[in-house]
Amino acid sequence: MDVKNEVLYRVYFLVFALVVPISMLLFYKTVQISIIDGDKWREDGKKAYIRERPIEAERGNIMAADGSLLATSVPYFDIFFDPFASSEDDYYKNLDTLAYCLATFVDDSYTVGGYREYLYDLRDTLINRKRHIPIKRKVSYSEKREIEKFPLFNLGQYRGGFIAVKRSERKRPFGVLARRTIGYVREEAQDIGLEGTFDDILGGSPGSEFAMPVDMIQVDKSQDLWMPLEDLASIEPKSGDDILTTLDINIQDISERALMRAVRHHDAEWGTAIVMEVKTGKIRAIANLGKVEDREEWYEIYNYAIGTGIEPGSTFKLASIMALLEDGYITLEDSIDIENGRTTFYEDVMEDASPYSFKLDTITVRKAFEISSNVGIAKLVDKYYGTPSKINENKGAAKFIERLKGFNLNLPTDVKIQGEEMPFIKEAYSSEDQWSGITLPWMSTGYEMKLTPLQLLTFYNAVANNGVMMKPMLVEQVQRFGEPLEIYRPTVVKKELASKKTLEQAQQLLRGVVERGTAQKLYTERFSFAGKTGTAQVDYKRLASGTRVGGYQASFVGYFPAEDPLYSCTVVIYKPRRNGFYGGDVAGPVFKEIAEKCYESILELHEPINAGPRPMLGERSLPVGSIGYKEDMKQVLEFLNLSWYGDPETELTALTASADSLTLNRRTVSDETIPNVVGMGLRDALFLLENKGLKVDVEGVGKVIRQSHRPGTPLKGQTLILTLN
Amino acid sequence: MSVAARLYTELRGDRAIWAVLILLAIFSLLAVYSATGSLAYRSAGGNTETILLKHGIILAGGLFLTYLCHLLHYMKYSRTAPILLLLSVPLLVYTIAYGADINEAKRWIMLPYVGITFQTSDFAKLALIIYVARAISSKQDYIKDFNSAFLPIIVPVLIICGLIAPADLSTAVLLFFTCLIMMFVGRVAIQYITLLVLLGIVVFAILIILGRFYPEFVRVDTWVSRMNDFLNNPDGGYQVVQSKIAIANGEWFGVGPGNSIQRNYLPSPFADFIYAIICEEFGIVGGFAVISLYVLFFFRVARLVTKSPKAFGAMLAMGLSVMLLIQAFTNIAVSVHLVPVTGIALPLISKGGTSVLFTCISFGIILSVSKYIESIGD
Repeated sequence: MDVKNEVLYRVYFLVFALVVPISMLLFYKTVQISIIDGDKWREDGKKAYIRERPIEAERGNIMAADGSLLATSVPYFDIFFDPFASSEDDYYKNLDTLAYCLATFVDDSYTVGGYREYLYDLRDTLINRKRHIPIKRKVSYSEKREIEKFPLFNLGQYRGGFIAVKRSERKRPFGVLARRTIGYVREEAQDIGLEGTFDDILGGSPGSEFAMPVDMIQVDKSQDLWMPLEDLASIEPKSGDDILTTLDINIQDISERALMRAVRHHDAEWGTAIVMEVKTGKIRAIANLGKVEDREEWYEIYNYAIGTGIEPGSTFKLASIMALLEDGYITLEDSIDIENGRTTFYEDVMEDASPYSFKLDTITVRKAFEISSNVGIAKLVDKYYGTPSKINENKGAAKFIERLKGFNLNLPTDVKIQGEEMPFIKEAYSSEDQWSGITLPWMSTGYEMKLTPLQLLTFYNAVANNGVMMKPMLVEQVQRFGEPLEIYRPTVVKKELASKKTLEQAQQLLRGVVERGTAQKLYTERFSFAGKTGTAQVDYKRLASGTRVGGYQASFVGYFPAEDPLYSCTVVIYKPRRNGFYGGDVAGPVFKEIAEKCYESILELHEPINAGPRPMLGERSLPVGSIGYKEDMKQVLEFLNLSWYGDPETELTALTASADSLTLNRRTVSDETIPNVVGMGLRDALFLLENKGLKVDVEGVGKVIRQSHRPGTPLKGQTLILTLN
Repeated sequence: MSVAARLYTELRGDRAIWAVLILLAIFSLLAVYSATGSLAYRSAGGNTETILLKHGIILAGGLFLTYLCHLLHYMKYSRTAPILLLLSVPLLVYTIAYGADINEAKRWIMLPYVGITFQTSDFAKLALIIYVARAISSKQDYIKDFNSAFLPIIVPVLIICGLIAPADLSTAVLLFFTCLIMMFVGRVAIQYITLLVLLGIVVFAILIILGRFYPEFVRVDTWVSRMNDFLNNPDGGYQVVQSKIAIANGEWFGVGPGNSIQRNYLPSPFADFIYAIICEEFGIVGGFAVISLYVLFFFRVARLVTKSPKAFGAMLAMGLSVMLLIQAFTNIAVSVHLVPVTGIALPLISKGGTSVLFTCISFGIILSVSKYIESIGD
């Protein structure tokens, strides 16, 4: 073989045995990866490094009936800094100003120089390069806007290293007001209140986006820095809808304050107060205050109004007497011997709680109810339902229970908030429910059963509403962007609770309690209300010798105004430890305070003062000596439908009355001397005096009746003391 | 005279090789442009335009170098070969001792005053190939002899490869393999070459053992982990998986230049895994074009050898082209998971100053050879 051919063969071998097959193999492998196994790899690519990340939805607001915010989500930002995002040039060029801005406006625990050194060191390192430096947490939106403008930061995330992570915080603008009812949603905790019940609506639905880590190499992997991929589909989060509640901020505030004073005054274990609109069942206020153990402090720690079933005690007697009335067994004028407030059923002693019963024996049913005689009511119920007989169609106690069920007392209210405790009314003669011989008389006075304060209030509300039982409602609307999405209408649970006659008698009885009975101390002429007191024993032990009592529960349920009820309200105060324990003494005043303040704040309840015929004017009844601005004066007089004489050209006028007419007189004020402000309102007086450079101190309220410097004294910047009355 | 015509007359030698060179340079610009657009690169504080401009300048400089080299008669290289080889020995030793640590491997030295890092193995590679080509062609009459032909050729090969190996085993292995192929084409007896292959395996084994005891000299840990990845992980390690995802994303026609997603996940997407990025952006069609360009280039050089089999020039061109082809194939083989991960660049396409410049010089020498062989043939 010659040299040339040997070389050629070897080259051919090289080309055809190595180069061509290898290149074919490489090409084949490429096709295999890209096409044959392509789907798997493409899938892997998406799965492993492009992640679907949730975008948190904005949580909806919870609003009071007037739209004020009870709970809202406020966004805030955590600010981080990536010192390696910017170019070296940008970084060192802006270092000084950035350090100055940060040390001055953001974190004054550093000096400018200290901050500068810190920033310098962050960048000037080869090992352990941190790319997620916390700058400040919990920064508001406006603050973030400012920080964003700092040099270097104003280049943005990818060129300046400014990272703002959006978070949000639930805020309650009214603080602890109705805290338990508004509730909260927390991880690893039971969801509470409206936040929990309406979590689905408030929470919206989170969106998602495809994102990938901002940096793959040489980066602190522990920190999550993701960049959304814009060209991949993302799902926008759906913001949560808003909940418009029925709560009235003012009434809620009134109730909470009144209740707070009471639980403090009586050192109660807990207390609750609910205010409901009679016609609609809308809950206008719901206050719950529980004592924090070992401390003299009360907070909204549990929703007692809805979540605690209690033995209602005397407030339940309304149901008992309505059953008797409805069955036609009694009239209010029938007599009953209350045996001086003490009797026995089988072996057990029953006593009246209130001292009214002493020395009384035979009284009317009405009176027995008004003075809340246990003996009276229990004897009546026992007489007519105690044993199966012809009178009660041989049903005995079953007939009584049937009546209670007819009043819906065995059903939950289904108010739209979670955690309602089921009512417990024993089935007649049921051994499972531990029915005994004394169950019926004790049931008739509100024991051996459980009802939540709201459940009993719903019953009273129906009585106030002439027998139409409304479902208590807490949520009026679900709103999206201020537009109603879903409107909850008031729901009638039962059209006729009882006959018209029974209801009228029930209403009379409740009024009687206030006028003559256990709540007569609360009676006032200013406004009318009706209701029933309750003083129930708690933690008791029934013994042959009597009952050993562990404490009391004072309550009051009623409505106001008595004639045409607007609101029903219940107050329960559990285990008051001092300053009395009777329902009328402990819970009643809270009810009265709530009712009174509500009454005052409801304009519709007051007759307009200018509505009647033009008032007769007599010198004595006329306001004399009032001084004020002419336009103000005229407006008041016009509103009051009074006529007057005179139209002075001065700004200030003085009102004088003579016989039966009013006159507006001119009133001038000198520029150099102290004016006479006696007779003026404080606003006008202050305006006048302070404009002249005088200092003013004020005592009392009302109109100015005295001024410390005589009118006409030259101005010297004195301090004037005004006495108001 | 138009610019094209002017260029045509200026560029002597095999115009197909010129065409390959320019096409590869264009691919390089596109791929590097895309790779530097990656987030990692941007967020690492880089300025994309500057990097692209720098790469463009290097490519232009390289092409100019090619032009200059192809003007020189290739016999001039022959004369400088022993000197270059002698010079490369201390350079390599110096690199091992004092070289700059980049990615935990001492492969670079910093050029004084200029401040440019310089990969000494690139220089040594070129020197060795010229030397071997010269030795083979000058000993053609007694090439089958062991003492007078085989030994003088193989000793420098072993020395140079041995010096490169501690820091850059894959380059050493590829260089050794290149020299073997040159010897094979240059009619060295098959039994000696077989012996060398066996020897290579033994040396490789010794190095591994050495690395166990002197880890600071030999990057044995890296090899072991890469080997393990390759052997034990059917899908390959992280880098290979990313590379496959990139190739798969491209399908037949690619996602278009600049649209690569995987550039964000592939470490050094502009060097070791640039083939995957080309496949992602230009599809299988792009990958096929790249492979074809290298193969075409090799065919054109093989044609030179068939024209003038004994000449030093043909042997030199063959050696240089084999070197480039092996590098290209290895780089692609890594991307498609045929061999373990190594740090071999894709000649001319990968970003990297020294590599581009020496590749361009190689091309220039090959073109110089082709220029003179063509003229003889005419």
